[in-house]
Amino acid sequence: MTDLLEADLEPPRPGRRERRAAAPRAYQRRNAELSLVIMAASITAVAYTVASLGTNAEIPPGLFGFVAFLLGLLLLAHFAVRKLARGADSTMLPLAALLHGIGFVMITRLDNDLASLQSLWSTLGIAVFVATLIFVQRATDLARYRWLLFFGGAGALLLPLVPGLGSTINGARIWVSIGPINFQPGEFAKIALAIFFAAYFADNRLLIAAKTWKVGPFRLPEPRFILPVLMAWGFAIVVMVGERDLGSSLLFFTLFVVMIWVATERVGWLVLGLVLFSGAAYFSWSRFGHVQTRVDIWLDPWSDSLGKGYQIVQSLFGLADGGLTGTGLGRGNPNQVPEAQNDFIFASIGEELGLIGATAILMSYLLIVGAGLRTALRTDREFEKLLAVGLTTIIGVQAFIIMGGVIKLVPLTGITLPFVSYGGSSLVSNYILLALLMRVSDSSARRLGEMPDEPTPGERWTAWLLRRQVRRDQKHATSRSGAGGS
Amino acid sequence: MNRQIRQLAGGLMLCYVILFATLNYWQVGRETELNGNVENTRAVRREFNKPRGPIVTADGVIAAVSVPNPDPESDFDQQREYPTGDLLSNVTGYFTLNFGSTQVEREFGDVLTGDTTEQQVRALRDLLSSEVDNSGSIQLTLRHDLQEVAKFALGGRSGSVAVIEVETGAVRALYSNPSYDPSSFVGLPFEEAQEQIVELQNAPGNPLVDPGYQQRYMPGSTFKVITTGIALEAGVIDPTSEFDRTTEWVPPQTSDPIQNYRGSQCGGDLAEVFRRSCNIPFAQIAVELGPERMVSGTEAWGMDEALPIDLPRAAASTFGDTDDLDQQLPLLAIRGFGQNEDQMVPLHMAMVAGTVANRGRMMSPYVVEATFDQKGRVLRNTEPELWKTPISNQTAGLLTQLMTGVTEGERGTAGSVQLANGVRFAAKTGTAELGLIGDPDRVHAWMIGFAPLEAPKYAIAVVLTDLTSTQADAATGGREAGPVVKGVLDYLLANPMP
Repeated sequence: MTDLLEADLEPPRPGRRERRAAAPRAYQRRNAELSLVIMAASITAVAYTVASLGTNAEIPPGLFGFVAFLLGLLLLAHFAVRKLARGADSTMLPLAALLHGIGFVMITRLDNDLASLQSLWSTLGIAVFVATLIFVQRATDLARYRWLLFFGGAGALLLPLVPGLGSTINGARIWVSIGPINFQPGEFAKIALAIFFAAYFADNRLLIAAKTWKVGPFRLPEPRFILPVLMAWGFAIVVMVGERDLGSSLLFFTLFVVMIWVATERVGWLVLGLVLFSGAAYFSWSRFGHVQTRVDIWLDPWSDSLGKGYQIVQSLFGLADGGLTGTGLGRGNPNQVPEAQNDFIFASIGEELGLIGATAILMSYLLIVGAGLRTALRTDREFEKLLAVGLTTIIGVQAFIIMGGVIKLVPLTGITLPFVSYGGSSLVSNYILLALLMRVSDSSARRLGEMPDEPTPGERWTAWLLRRQVRRDQKHATSRSGAGGS
Repeated sequence: MNRQIRQLAGGLMLCYVILFATLNYWQVGRETELNGNVENTRAVRREFNKPRGPIVTADGVIAAVSVPNPDPESDFDQQREYPTGDLLSNVTGYFTLNFGSTQVEREFGDVLTGDTTEQQVRALRDLLSSEVDNSGSIQLTLRHDLQEVAKFALGGRSGSVAVIEVETGAVRALYSNPSYDPSSFVGLPFEEAQEQIVELQNAPGNPLVDPGYQQRYMPGSTFKVITTGIALEAGVIDPTSEFDRTTEWVPPQTSDPIQNYRGSQCGGDLAEVFRRSCNIPFAQIAVELGPERMVSGTEAWGMDEALPIDLPRAAASTFGDTDDLDQQLPLLAIRGFGQNEDQMVPLHMAMVAGTVANRGRMMSPYVVEATFDQKGRVLRNTEPELWKTPISNQTAGLLTQLMTGVTEGERGTAGSVQLANGVRFAAKTGTAELGLIGDPDRVHAWMIGFAPLEAPKYAIAVVLTDLTSTQADAATGGREAGPVVKGVLDYLLANPMP
């Protein structure tokens, strides 16, 4: 009886070969990921060399160190996935690595001084990626912290408005400065809110969809179910408009509408979202000068091509100069566009790598979106589904808003291009997002039986505590019964 | 929920397809239009940042060179410098981002950046040496020391000095006042540079347009070399021709008489009227030749045609409006001695003297001796080219005698100008009375010539364009331009090409 319990509590750890045999598909994925990661690293290394040749006509002096650093970081991320999220999708990490690598090369090429900082952010990003995989071993654990994340996210959004902490850069008050450290809390708030929305909708989606509250001819969801999400959404919008960050505002709005639509399965939310959006857009256009300016520039940048329209006009000139094949890395003039390393990095890529390179970037995002939504489809838990939808929407929509802004498809809003733009907050938050998406993907693979669902270290620790308790109890019982028996 | 997720996937994919279509619209559809937009400076910038080789004078002085940009913040690694200041700017020109380029910088820009086919092919062959800098260099025919002498001799007065080698047409000196220093605007920020350039353009004489080969001036009596040449070729006159000693002559179709310089009495044989520079004989010669022969004669001397120099936008000398000239014989007569609408480019006048010295052969002038690739190998040595043959060897000999009379003969207008060490030379002076309303005393003082007489090597033209000549203080070609000619030729003959 005792033996059986012991065995039950502590199943024998299978050997390496057995583990592999038990989960062939998971290992196939990891091997595919490894080769794709190495491919992304090779492309980055070649691009790095070519950019240096194009700019200074010399092989970059630290090429070997760069390649070692790059491979080191990516292999670290890969082996963390291999260890911690074995069943996860195989394409997400390589795609992010490719985008990150191309972005790094462009940033180095645009402003060499930013390279060392960006490599620091890259290291931090990968470290946080691994840490996220370590700390979040079960996606569903996140749902437990929904309210913490809700208030944390809301607080983070508010931080830049605190006098003394917040600082305004390029007209948007989205930065927090603590000593030498600057960061954009909004980048992290979007993830927190996506988790909150996913958890809340997973619990209440049927109640929201039920629409039991009658107001005249309309049937609406019970106010107490819809109030928190409306609060979260309105809060985000108000703060964003207050911080003049239109891009993030649009992103939050889209995130909310998409998630509530998917959760309730009612297209009415999309329609309502569109109506609300049009109203908000018209309102802010008529009330805020800076919004009006943005729209005017979008409609006709040519009339003020040396003033307000300069950035977008130069961006289009750069794209045209690049043409189909680009000017070649290091051979164009992307620095003609102000803020080329941030919001306009896509224009730099279009200029130097041409339509072909820009399309490769587009395709990479589309493939990440595809992998993310495939994850959402594969998992059977509503929370995980909604979380995957939310996180994928963030990446896909954010990339679309800024790339569309740069090529004058939509009004330009200051927002970073995920994984590609310069900046620590953006890079770190996107790696957290990637880790969560891969965690969801891994969870569904476990449940689909593609690999044995081994206990996580946390669970093993709990089990160990439990076992110790059981042994103590047994010892206690034995000694007591022994004393009683003799 | 899966249905919505699939719809979401479709929606996002549509968004990206639209992105892709828009990218195509800008990068392929409107590529040509956007690249042609005047505000799109990318192509210029790309050109601007290429390594650019130096321009060096015949005596090895660097006139234009690219140096590493001291400003690390700048978009450009290179910065163009002109160490010789205003001394050679009329030949080197300038190279700017926003205001284009001129002269050698413009005409030989492809050599300097290594874009000629030959340089590209050679670069391909040298690919193994991993040399990306493919820039070429230019050696000028001009001598820096001679430019300095010319500048010194002009002494700040407006005017030009042009010296060519008679047998080849190589320009050894071409200096003019006013000049400009390209450093006064090259490398400055856009607005400051624009201010400087506009100021130069509006300055009197517009130094950005070189007075030496891009502007023209009334030639006065130096034009008599051409009239005489045409007449000798046509057989209208010969060395034995005699002209009345008179103070006035009334040409056909008018009652207004033509006078000699300052109403003097002048005449005699051809040698005398030439060396004393009488006006009436040459007016008579022109009328006798008639409009047709006179016009075709000036064309044979290269007038009404842009100078065939290896620099952009060379001016053309002109004989003026030639329509209905047979109804305006008085004008033809006046043009016969270099006034009215006659206008000559200073460099062209040096070529006129050079033609006489070179036995009737007028060579194309050139300022670039040779071009070199990045490794210093010769790309092209300029081969001298014949441009016109307006006169025969015999006529050239006669003209040489006539021009020698000007410096050596009795009452020759250049008698006061004698070269050092007794070197003999031939010349012709000119004093063009512009007859400007409001500035009646304004003259151009000219002198053209060549030396040494026995074996002509250099031809020279000097013009001073901003002189005032009064009865009491006559500014004539011999008196004003003569010392400049002497200064330059003395130096040149004492310091031949190393």
